[in-house]
Amino acid sequence: MTLVMVVDDDQDLAEMLGIVLTGAGIDVDLVSRGDEVMDVFRNNPPDLVLLDVMLPGLDGIEVCKLIRAESMVPIVMLSAKGDTQDVVKGLEAGADDYMVKPFRHPSELIARIRTRLRRTNADVSGLLTIGDLAIDVQAHQVARGGKQIALTRLEFDLLVALAKEPGRVFTRDALLSEVWGYRHSTDTRLVNVHVQRLRSKIEHDAEHPEIVVTVRGVGYKAGVLGGS
Amino acid sequence: MNRIYGRIQKSLAIKVIFSTVILSLAVTGITGSALNSRLAAGIKEVNLNSALIEARSTLFTAEYRFLLAQGEKDSEVQKVVDDVISSATTLTANENAREVVFIRSPGNTRKNNYEIASNLLDPSSIPQSLSERVRKKPDLVYQYTNMNYLTGTQVRGLAIGQKVQIPNAGQYEMFIIFSLANQEKTLDLISRLLLLTGFVLLLLIALITWLVVRQVVKPVREAAVIATEFTSGDFRKRLKVESQDEISTLGFAFNEMAESIEKQIARLENLSRVQQRFVSDVSHELRTPLTTLRMASEVIHSSKDSFDPIVSRSAELLVAQLDRFERLLEDLLEVSRFDAEVAVLEAVDFDMVQLVQRCADDLGLVAKKRKTQIYIKTVEPVIMVKADIRRVERILRNLLSNAIDHAEEQQIDVQIVSSEHDVAVGVRDYGVGLDENALTRVFDRFWRADPSRARIRGGTGLGLSIALEDARLHNGELEAWGRPGRGAHFVVTLPRNTWESIEQRLIQLQPEDYKA
Repeated sequence: MTLVMVVDDDQDLAEMLGIVLTGAGIDVDLVSRGDEVMDVFRNNPPDLVLLDVMLPGLDGIEVCKLIRAESMVPIVMLSAKGDTQDVVKGLEAGADDYMVKPFRHPSELIARIRTRLRRTNADVSGLLTIGDLAIDVQAHQVARGGKQIALTRLEFDLLVALAKEPGRVFTRDALLSEVWGYRHSTDTRLVNVHVQRLRSKIEHDAEHPEIVVTVRGVGYKAGVLGGS
Repeated sequence: MNRIYGRIQKSLAIKVIFSTVILSLAVTGITGSALNSRLAAGIKEVNLNSALIEARSTLFTAEYRFLLAQGEKDSEVQKVVDDVISSATTLTANENAREVVFIRSPGNTRKNNYEIASNLLDPSSIPQSLSERVRKKPDLVYQYTNMNYLTGTQVRGLAIGQKVQIPNAGQYEMFIIFSLANQEKTLDLISRLLLLTGFVLLLLIALITWLVVRQVVKPVREAAVIATEFTSGDFRKRLKVESQDEISTLGFAFNEMAESIEKQIARLENLSRVQQRFVSDVSHELRTPLTTLRMASEVIHSSKDSFDPIVSRSAELLVAQLDRFERLLEDLLEVSRFDAEVAVLEAVDFDMVQLVQRCADDLGLVAKKRKTQIYIKTVEPVIMVKADIRRVERILRNLLSNAIDHAEEQQIDVQIVSSEHDVAVGVRDYGVGLDENALTRVFDRFWRADPSRARIRGGTGLGLSIALEDARLHNGELEAWGRPGRGAHFVVTLPRNTWESIEQRLIQLQPEDYKA
């Protein structure tokens, strides 16, 4: 069974989330305080964390940073604010995705969670190379010159999506549907923030990216190291 | 000239100084020239009197000596004439130069000629009129004239003449001409001094006026500066009050007014901040229970088939109303952002045509239900813009939903026009339309054209007012046209680059198909 950790201080909402997730065949661990998250997390590592931004004890952004420091587990932030700053802050702290309360449909939440949990790129096999990076899709590993680079699952998926079709220019919308599983969303902040994070891990110089290249006015593509 | 006049009009100090100087100029001019002419007349009179006395004695001596030389030889007479001339022209230190002229009277036909002028003076310096008067009168006659020398110099002079009888030579006119060079010099000096004094006086008056005016104007000017800053939003500015005159009373009054305005504004600002904060907090706080409600209702709704029809229908209504409630909450939150002026633009590059197409597609089903159809006409297949796509999409959705709501089963025409600089989208429907009163209120919050109309689509009543705010946030404009029964036309014009402002309206607001 999949285990999802739900961190929310609103007891009723947490219970409701529990009902919906359990109904979908997912085990749930409920935590109501920010400063209790790490203990529960270490004792019983979940497959995914649903994390509210506003929490007593320790706020969601900080909790997100703490989890990220130890684990590459997918994190989906729950936010009562749609405001840009909070969303971007959450994504920069290491969240993979976010959902703004109230969700359109519980089914949307479940779809989001499943997307984050499924093994993407099951169709891609073997080794991919992009620039001077070697990507082992099955083993979920990226290495440069034999040295492992730790990526979150989402960052890995993003990199693979670009690497399996080198040269193709992906619009942000295309990446949103490919990696995040959104049909059409206009929120391209998700893509922008994650590309920045990915670059900071894999590029030689994140200011002058050579692997994930911006195509102005369109989107991104996998670049070939050393030009052309 | 106009510029100088303008400057004078603008500054009180300059105005006062200018008029004071003009008035003083008139006063000093009149007194100065009166003084000058009085002085000149006095000096001339004194000089004339002394010249007459001197001339009288000289002429008397000459007459006397000619009388004594009666019967002498011509050479002796000549000597007497020379003697008379030399003694008359000999000067003591402080005297004016003099010249002597003998002119033979007309009608004198004696052969001995003693016509002479001393020191190369041109005898024509003696005016004809003076000669005639000398001949007619037995006494002294005088006239002011110019002394012309054969060397070319010319000096002002006073000519005094009388008839004399020269022995053996008949009647001559003897003139003594006094040079007035010294007098002229004195007069010149006096008028120059007067002019200088007048000028200095004017300067001093201007200076004094400036000093006095400054005392009055400076505080007024400071008050004006501070009032301007106050107007532009710096409510902490106060006037400095240093004395106890009328100006300080003005200062006190101004400061009191400023104080009261500042308090009022602070109170209002605080009030509206509290109010906006409240709206925003309420919206946020409502979200968590709403989320729980949503999920609970969905769980119920998903198993509605197992309920009896009444419960089942209730579950449907519950879900639908929660939807509507949520939309209202979203709009309220957005409105509170606009009110708090915290709405931010996140500009990205996108294709306007594609966005319009997508919005129309998304609303296609609704349009079909209302038996209308959306037709899109564009001048170019791709129009790239840099704007906040979320907001532009919201504007388009609001305009399209609004058109669908009021289309009355007639088609909806969407027109996209772009220029180098701007892009415009016009949404035209041919339905119920809007009257004049409605046009002024169509962007008001919660305003509905016809309160009795069924709220079929369940719009929040905030859509168009948010669309307007969205357009303005882009430095764009959203305008509405409508006629009862003739449909409506909404045109949004945006700069293709968010941070610029629109150059022109690309779509005429009153549709071409409409003839008044």
